[in-house]
Amino acid sequence: MVIRIAAVGDVHVDEDVLGRFRPALEQLAGSVDALLLAGDLTRHGTEAEARCVAREFGGLGVPVVAVLGNHDHQCDEVPQVVGALAEADITVLEGDGVVLDCPGGRLGVAGVKGFGGGFAGRCASDFGEPEMKAFVRTTTESADRLGETLRALDCDVLVALTHYAPVPDTLAGEPLEIYPFLGCYQLGQAVDSAPTALALHGHAHHGSERGTTPGGVRVRNVAHPVIKQAYSIFHLGDHLDQGEVSGVAAGGIQQPWS
Amino acid sequence: MTAYRDSVAGPPDEYVEAEIHRLLTEDPAVAEQGITVVRTERALVLHGEVESAHRREEILRRVADRFPDVSITSDIGVVRAQAPTEIEQLP
Repeated sequence: MVIRIAAVGDVHVDEDVLGRFRPALEQLAGSVDALLLAGDLTRHGTEAEARCVAREFGGLGVPVVAVLGNHDHQCDEVPQVVGALAEADITVLEGDGVVLDCPGGRLGVAGVKGFGGGFAGRCASDFGEPEMKAFVRTTTESADRLGETLRALDCDVLVALTHYAPVPDTLAGEPLEIYPFLGCYQLGQAVDSAPTALALHGHAHHGSERGTTPGGVRVRNVAHPVIKQAYSIFHLGDHLDQGEVSGVAAGGIQQPWS
Repeated sequence: MTAYRDSVAGPPDEYVEAEIHRLLTEDPAVAEQGITVVRTERALVLHGEVESAHRREEILRRVADRFPDVSITSDIGVVRAQAPTEIEQLP
């Protein structure tokens, strides 16, 4: 049983980017079971930009599942953004999940934007001024919704999709001082509260690709400036060799076992 | 923009660095959070990657307009968008 996932975040699409991803995206049909988008799909979160995202990432012949990022909230047009993406059959998750029937089994994706707050021992606390308490409560409520969804999904392979980072490992390369704005340990706790196979996030443009939660779940930062390609591909399955990375011939993406 | 008491010497570099960093995010024509501003002896250097050449040019134009007396060097790239050449297998 193998589930094949493509993922990228922080594509920041506007008119000037239209067509850049498309040649690579058109190779996805038949190669993967789903494309996951880890937030910051747009520059300013306008409906017009979301329509550009829909043109670039819609109609690919594979299910596309997304969470929004902080950029997608900038112009306070979230309902219009979600609506424009929905018209292109792009599913936007925020505290909920979806189960996809794939040839290799049922893929469950739980998604939430998440929020900052920092990591264990160096994080903000629900204490003091109302603004600080509101900040931390946003963090904990978001992580709680992720955890509840992960625990509720009935599937064979479970993936957590966020914009903010659930661990500090994948922030390596960012200044330590801004870690509390890039993620929070509560998201990691949520990931570890369920049998999650993989956690995907974006947001940290100067971060690094790989990490694990304290509970041992693999975490991948798929922010576009980090992966430096149109998307990354992950194969999740029981029989695969640990840590194996398969080469791809010049002709494009190939099945690693073919 | 903040006024400084010592107008002859101009604002300390650290404040200029902070203002440029905020401009890069808060100016709607830029809206980039992934650009790093580094102070060197001779200039402020902008590092990072953006999604199009147009955005890179716009960053340099907006910063030069706002800080005409500051020497700026750019090392901003455009992120590649080709299909991957490898698949990561996760048992």
